[in-house]
Amino acid sequence: MAQIAGVAVDDEIATRISNSIGPAFEGFAAIAGTLPFDLEPSSYVLAQNQKVSK
Amino acid sequence: MSTEPALMTLTEVARAIAMKQVSSHEVTRALLHRIAQWQPHLNAFMSIESEAALKAAEAADAELAKGEVRGPLHGVPLAHKDMYYDAGKVSTCGSLIRRDFVATTTSTALQRLKDAGQIRLGTLHLAEFAYGPTGHNAHYGPVRNPWNVAHITGGSSSGSGSAVAARLTYAALGSDTGGSIRMPAHFCGATGLKTTWSRVSRAGAMPLSQSLDTVGPLARTAEDCALLLALMAGPDPEDSTASHEPLSDYVAATKGSLKGLKIGVPASFYVDDLDGEVARVLDETIAVLKREGADIVKVELPDQRQLQAASQLVLAAEAAAFHKRWMIERPQDYGPQVLMRLQNGLAVPAITYLEAMRWRGPALAAHNAATAGVDAVIAPASPVPAPTIEESDVGGGPNAPALLQRLTLFTRPVNFLGLPSLTVPSGFTKSGLPVGMQLIGRSFDEATLLTIGAAFQRVTDYHDRLPKLPS
Repeated sequence: MAQIAGVAVDDEIATRISNSIGPAFEGFAAIAGTLPFDLEPSSYVLAQNQKVSK
Repeated sequence: MSTEPALMTLTEVARAIAMKQVSSHEVTRALLHRIAQWQPHLNAFMSIESEAALKAAEAADAELAKGEVRGPLHGVPLAHKDMYYDAGKVSTCGSLIRRDFVATTTSTALQRLKDAGQIRLGTLHLAEFAYGPTGHNAHYGPVRNPWNVAHITGGSSSGSGSAVAARLTYAALGSDTGGSIRMPAHFCGATGLKTTWSRVSRAGAMPLSQSLDTVGPLARTAEDCALLLALMAGPDPEDSTASHEPLSDYVAATKGSLKGLKIGVPASFYVDDLDGEVARVLDETIAVLKREGADIVKVELPDQRQLQAASQLVLAAEAAAFHKRWMIERPQDYGPQVLMRLQNGLAVPAITYLEAMRWRGPALAAHNAATAGVDAVIAPASPVPAPTIEESDVGGGPNAPALLQRLTLFTRPVNFLGLPSLTVPSGFTKSGLPVGMQLIGRSFDEATLLTIGAAFQRVTDYHDRLPKLPS
């Protein structure tokens, strides 16, 4: 991945990256691949501007 | 109210200068005196501009004598996190790479405070490129906690938290991408306002993660935070993401009562595995809010660990994209901790990043639905009080990585949702370290948080307590 990005990292760094960011992938696993087709990132601004009443 | 100029709140000193009860010059001199005493112990300032500040104070006093008032901060000396560009001035961003970077523009947030009359005292220390939760900095040394200099301040707005708590500036801009305002507020005993994402323009503020970065103040009181937010918030032609949502009267909001307000206490996550003293302070804070008239109810929030994970993925990818050129050309000029964090972003595929971004809308909608019955949610800013500088360093032993993860556990989900959150000093540990609680609000409803924070501060004195100068 890092090579594709054009940034050189050795095996030790690759292992450390994997250990460090790996749990975030695990935490997000239940969401990944489940989102509906029509959902765009801009839906966030719509949710943000939605008036929420008690 | 203190009559000692350096110990006044921002609101008090601004009023005292305007009413000519104290001059800007006197106030600036008093702060510079305290800075000279404390800076060797705290390392909170990146630069101290004594001569220029005193000269600007004299000019402010001369203007006032002629009846010329620039605005609500006329003649008030302030220092801010050294990542807010000020045209013609160096902005190091806490880094070696930008050690000599001279800004060519002035950040909108800072310009609005300058237009209101603030004068520049210097700049405040921060984590390198605002990418660190503790206050360590490989190039300029750690910033120290004024309540115990062996302990961290929290980051990345480390200098802001330390300087406000030690009364070296009346308030300071911080920035919050993963907890960088709320953690220093919690660890140092300051009041810190993480604003709704897009409430305050980010133009001219060093970027870390465009989807998560927010600009906000640290100050002594909720009232002071309200004053600064009122000056900074609103649309900006220089930042197309700055929201056009209507503003509230934030200062007036601080006069409100808790009666009729509903505050939610999470049923899980934010109350799990807390340090015993943080748990005690949470209970005590809830009791005060209840006594003052708030209705306390339990809330079931959606899975916060998923939000935390998504927040980490977005931050890692966006930060690596900003820094990619320097990661290739100047990797040796980063501190090892920060370079490691930036390298994490290389492992996030574009599809995963975009999935996280696409999920933000439904995630916020789910949060809104879960909290529809309450005005705010209360939670600790962090599960623990300030650890020591040594134990939270990356080389600080086998437990350090887990400790670092734990520090930001309760702040990152809020960044992913872009919600406002006010951290208020709420108690102290037996060993004398501050503990802060965060009040998490609805999007663009900073006003309600300021109402709750100010009402809490009217009946408690945690925000008034003063750390002692180390011997």
